[in-house]
Amino acid sequence: MSRSILLLACLAAFLTASALAQEAPTPGGTAIVILGSDPEHLNAGISTGYPVGAVGASLYSALVYLDAEGVPHGELAESWTVSDDDLVYTFALRPATFHDGTPVTSADVVHSMEEILGPNHGRFQRAFAEMASLEAPDPQTVVITLNRPYAPLISLLTVFDAPVLPKHVFEGTDPLTNEANQNPVGSGPFRFVEWVRGERVVLERFDDYFLDNALLDRLIYRVVPQDVARSVALEVGEADLLWGFYMPTADLERLEANPDLQVWKGLTIPSLYFVFANNDNPALADVRVRQALMFAIDREQIVEQAQGGLGEVAAGPFGLGFAFAYSEEADYRTLYPHDPERARELLADAGVSDLTLDFVYDSARGAFAAAAEIMRDNLRQVGITLNVQPVERSVMVERVYGRSYDLSMQSFTSGGDPAIGYHRIYLTAEPGTNFVNATGYSNPTVDTLLDAAAGLADRDARAAIYDEALAILANDVPTLVMFNELSTEAAAGNLRGMRVRLDQRDGLEYLWLAR
Amino acid sequence: MSGARGSKGLGAYAFERLLNAIPLVVGVIVVNFMLISLAPGDPVTALIGEFPAPPEYVERVRAQYGLDRPVPERLVRYLASVAQGDLGFSFANRQPVFTLVTERLGRTLLLMLTTVVLATIVGVVLGVAAARRPHSAVDRGATGFALAGYSIPEFWLGQLLILIFAVWLGLLPAGGFRSIRADYVGWAAVLDQARHMILPMLALSFRYMAITTRLTRASLLEVMNADYILASRARGLSERRVLWEHGLRAAALPIITVIGYNFSFIVAGSALVETVFGWPGVGRLMYDSIFTRDYPVLLGILLLVSVAVILVNLLTDVAYALFDPRVRY
Repeated sequence: MSRSILLLACLAAFLTASALAQEAPTPGGTAIVILGSDPEHLNAGISTGYPVGAVGASLYSALVYLDAEGVPHGELAESWTVSDDDLVYTFALRPATFHDGTPVTSADVVHSMEEILGPNHGRFQRAFAEMASLEAPDPQTVVITLNRPYAPLISLLTVFDAPVLPKHVFEGTDPLTNEANQNPVGSGPFRFVEWVRGERVVLERFDDYFLDNALLDRLIYRVVPQDVARSVALEVGEADLLWGFYMPTADLERLEANPDLQVWKGLTIPSLYFVFANNDNPALADVRVRQALMFAIDREQIVEQAQGGLGEVAAGPFGLGFAFAYSEEADYRTLYPHDPERARELLADAGVSDLTLDFVYDSARGAFAAAAEIMRDNLRQVGITLNVQPVERSVMVERVYGRSYDLSMQSFTSGGDPAIGYHRIYLTAEPGTNFVNATGYSNPTVDTLLDAAAGLADRDARAAIYDEALAILANDVPTLVMFNELSTEAAAGNLRGMRVRLDQRDGLEYLWLAR
Repeated sequence: MSGARGSKGLGAYAFERLLNAIPLVVGVIVVNFMLISLAPGDPVTALIGEFPAPPEYVERVRAQYGLDRPVPERLVRYLASVAQGDLGFSFANRQPVFTLVTERLGRTLLLMLTTVVLATIVGVVLGVAAARRPHSAVDRGATGFALAGYSIPEFWLGQLLILIFAVWLGLLPAGGFRSIRADYVGWAAVLDQARHMILPMLALSFRYMAITTRLTRASLLEVMNADYILASRARGLSERRVLWEHGLRAAALPIITVIGYNFSFIVAGSALVETVFGWPGVGRLMYDSIFTRDYPVLLGILLLVSVAVILVNLLTDVAYALFDPRVRY
């Protein structure tokens, strides 16, 4: 008897839960999304700034999109084929129109890549450098031929890296000063209505969108520069959605306690936090000293105290985001537990004493300041003096990539593929290029292995190569990998349809308001 | 105003002052330009974004914005274009600096002018109230208020006001220039904007209310001990007339001086307050431009501010002449 009641209760609970989950989307209404700073302009083809990308993701479309798991699907591309030698990618386009009614053709795709993105979009450089040719044999077909196999190509053709802009608007003009940068024409789910600089960007549903039409009537991006004011805007109902990128983490607890809001935490785009160790410093060039630092720094404490628990101690050179680039034998959590005693032994072994290191970081990152204090305390216990130097971001970039530092904390992301954002940390490079190999670490075997992995489309075959590279990197620790950041999002209680894509900024056409 | 010996008239005086200001403005541009150019940090880094770009690409971007030229050459070019009325092109916003700044100027002026008016009225009234009965409860209250005004930083006060009036009491909007959800028109729009102005205006004016209060009190106390005030009282004038017509008029000069002097600080304060309240004005544009190392915008705003400060100083001098018949130019 009691058992069947329990069963009934379970069934009832299940039915309620599934009814909630299947709540039917209701179209209409306006949602307000918070931006932390004004977009510089609205041409996502010439900028990689976060706010430009945010508005751009709704205004423009691209060949592919990445779903919430990071798997690529066709957006403007209905399908694509790859030649047997992994060099020729042929995309078949869907029928689509720009917001001014002109059809989107392969000529627009090729023109965007060659004339707008190639010369002006920093992140597109990576994919562009691998391209031998770009062709439009007919209006619905785009053919990209590569110099060599490059597995991450597809992940680099999203709206953030390769938005498609209208050729008829940009042809023969300077894309940097074209009037359409202020008054954009895209082919995305929302069309441009109004931009009041420093205040808001207003978009409305584009009814001739080539995929399912957006659910909202209007989407407004509101600029709230001060971080505390962002959570307040959400609390008092002046905004509906706040992404982790703009989240004041100190307010997260308060937002979570608010019954009118919903707060989410989880891994989206894997973002990894590193401490770079400059190999130009003879002490840090010694692998034993770098290993000692790994044993000495309490990464668990940094996650808990500096990061407010919003992180997971990193598992290896490529973090937790990519299963095929992880090896249990090379897991930093088991190889390098917090062990000051072991650190002291290694330092004695290396003959290092009275070491003083300059720790340089971007002063605007509050969590870094807290991490620096923890590291200073950790390292004092093993006899290393940490000289903490918070500097402004652009100064940090100059110092670190000019190799005028000892240790520096930074975070990198690698959306869709470790070859996009993380290989550059370990590959041999000349000093002076920003955001590549800050440490001066150079290992020809690692170079060969990582290059080979980047060329393979088959993930099992790549995993075998990564295993080999991971074993070397786990021993060499060229870079001290700290933790994977957890992303967050806070929204009004009635907002639905978030996080359908890997990047929180994408897929806002699925947003809707529960009545 | 003309006719007095040795004077050229107020108009001629103002014109001469303006002419003399030109070398000053050029000096301000040169110093600002050099300071910004010599500060560490590369605008190209901010332009390209946070990922590796091939060196040729970096150089191309640098050349595109003329940043590959030596600093003296860039300075001369900049001065030449400013002389032609061209403030340059924003690196980050890809728009003429003039458009960017003028688009936001009205909003900042709205905030600044209402702040000056509010601070002056409240400050003078409190100062007079305090000076009428020195060491009374009113005086002690006004002095306490002034002390708080001096010591509380604007950005902190701004956040406190948001917390009290927007979050706890829910009476006023937490930030922004106007409501985003509702599109008001006519009087409703004016009212909506006024509601959005209350908190930023309070945050910005508190300090200047305090300064004006203290100064009015001190200046008035001094004047009220003068012989001619005693004489006025002896003639049987009402205390109200003695205070407001004879006392305050004589006490006004230092108050006017300080209002003009405060102006440049209000510009600085507005950068902070605009950031706290998300007020889309020039102050915030300046704040953003520092982070993106957007030199042309930064220089344009600094130029505008220095011209404004010179103009306000001139206005102060003109106001002297209007308030004090002994002052002749």
